[in-house]
Parts: sequence; structure tokens; C-alpha cells
Amino acid sequence: MFEVAIILITAIVVLLVAYLTAISSRDLIRLLISLEMMFGAVFLALIPVFSIPEMTTTAFGVLVITIFTSSSELLVLIASIVLLNRMTRDISTDVVSSGGDVL
Amino acid sequence: MDITSLILLALGFLTILSSLGVLSSRDNFYSALYMALTMIFIATTFAVFNIQSAFILIAFIFIGAVGIVTVALAAVFRYVPRKVPVDKLWVIPTVLTIAVLAYTLYKYATFNLSTASVNIAAFQSQYALAVVFLFCLMVLLMISIVKIVRREEVCLK
Repeated sequence: MFEVAIILITAIVVLLVAYLTAISSRDLIRLLISLEMMFGAVFLALIPVFSIPEMTTTAFGVLVITIFTSSSELLVLIASIVLLNRMTRDISTDVVSSGGDVL
Repeated sequence: MDITSLILLALGFLTILSSLGVLSSRDNFYSALYMALTMIFIATTFAVFNIQSAFILIAFIFIGAVGIVTVALAAVFRYVPRKVPVDKLWVIPTVLTIAVLAYTLYKYATFNLSTASVNIAAFQSQYALAVVFLFCLMVLLMISIVKIVRREEVCLK
């Protein structure tokens, strides 16, 4: 009966840990790791959708699109890491001169 | 509590524990390993509900390719970053997110979970165009990245 609750609580905790990892670190590798964990939380949240017979194909479609998105994100971040390392010999986001999380 | 719920509870506990390992580990390499472990537990949750097609996709593509590349990257750029204190204003979006997720949990917690198998033929007929577009997007992205990297190489010379 509480299977959905267990899955959703796990997904929420993984998502919040990923958020915290993303905002408490200052390098691109950890950012990549936290983004992938966010995608992991999305996968977990998709499990209840698979239990609705009319939505099974849609859930699988969302899963495939999520995997494509995560692969694209990996591609972009690998390029960013390589370029940043070539330019600054550092992968810390402190060396990036614009953007950031200062509100 | 039946056996499926117990397995699910154990898997959820292990998933949360390994995700906390990502956060608490100082070395990026160990963080990446913990992340791969978290992904394996998530894929196993799909296997528990017999969603084989999703399990295969997550295990082979998400863990086997994306996860391992991340571990390899973390091993190559071995780096122990300094942790920074989190800005207190992040509390606002975090609380909003928790509120939305808690409402979802409240609404659907007692939902009966009995997963059905995926009809691949129906998926192919409905999503063929979307998959073709996604492939095109990936190729376009790869070409763009190769162009950017080459341009930067010329600039650095």
C-alpha cells in the first residue's frame, strides 16, 4: 500500500541531496554528478506512472527523452570541463567570470 | 507488510544512504562512485516492479555509459574541491520544492502500484518521430561542440 510513498520519499530525498550537492560545491565534476542524481530522482518518480496502463507508453517515452537529455548534458559538460581546464588549468567554477549563485 | 514493500524499503534506504555518500565525500572520484551506486539501486527498483525495458535502458545507457564516463572524468580530473557555505536565500526555493513534492506525496501515497509491461510496438509507432528528432539534436550538439573546441584550440594557439 505504501509502495508509492516509499518511492516518492526516496525520489524527494535524492533530489534534495542533489540540489544541496549542486549549490554547495564549486567545480564542474561535482555539478555533473549532482545533475545526474537529479535525473535519477526523475527516473524514480516515473515508476508510479508505469502503473497506469494508459500511461505506460508515455512513461517509457519520458524515460527515453530523459536519457537523451542526460546524455546531451554530459556532452556539454565534458566539453565545458575540457575547455575550462585548457584555458585556466582549473575546473573550479570560481574562475568563471560571469554567472554564479549570488542572489 | 509484504515482501515487495520490504525490498522496496531496503532499496530506498540504500539509495538514500549512497546519495548522502555523494554529498559527504570530499573527493570527486568517490562522489562519482557513490553516484554510480545510487543509479544501480534506482535501476534495481525498476527491476523489482518487472519494468524490464526501462531497467535495461537505465542499466546499460544511464549507468553503463553516462555514469561510467562521469567516474572516468572524476578519476582523470582528480580534484578535492573546497566546500562553500550555502547561501541562506536558497532556503526559499528549497522550501517551495519540498512543499510541492510533499503535496504530491500526500495526494498519491496510497495509490495502488501494479506496473504493466511496456508495449514497445506502440512506443515505436507513437514516438518514432520524437526519437528521430532527438538523434538529430544529439548529432547537431556533437557537431557544435566539436566546432567550439576547435575554435578554442585555434584561439589558444
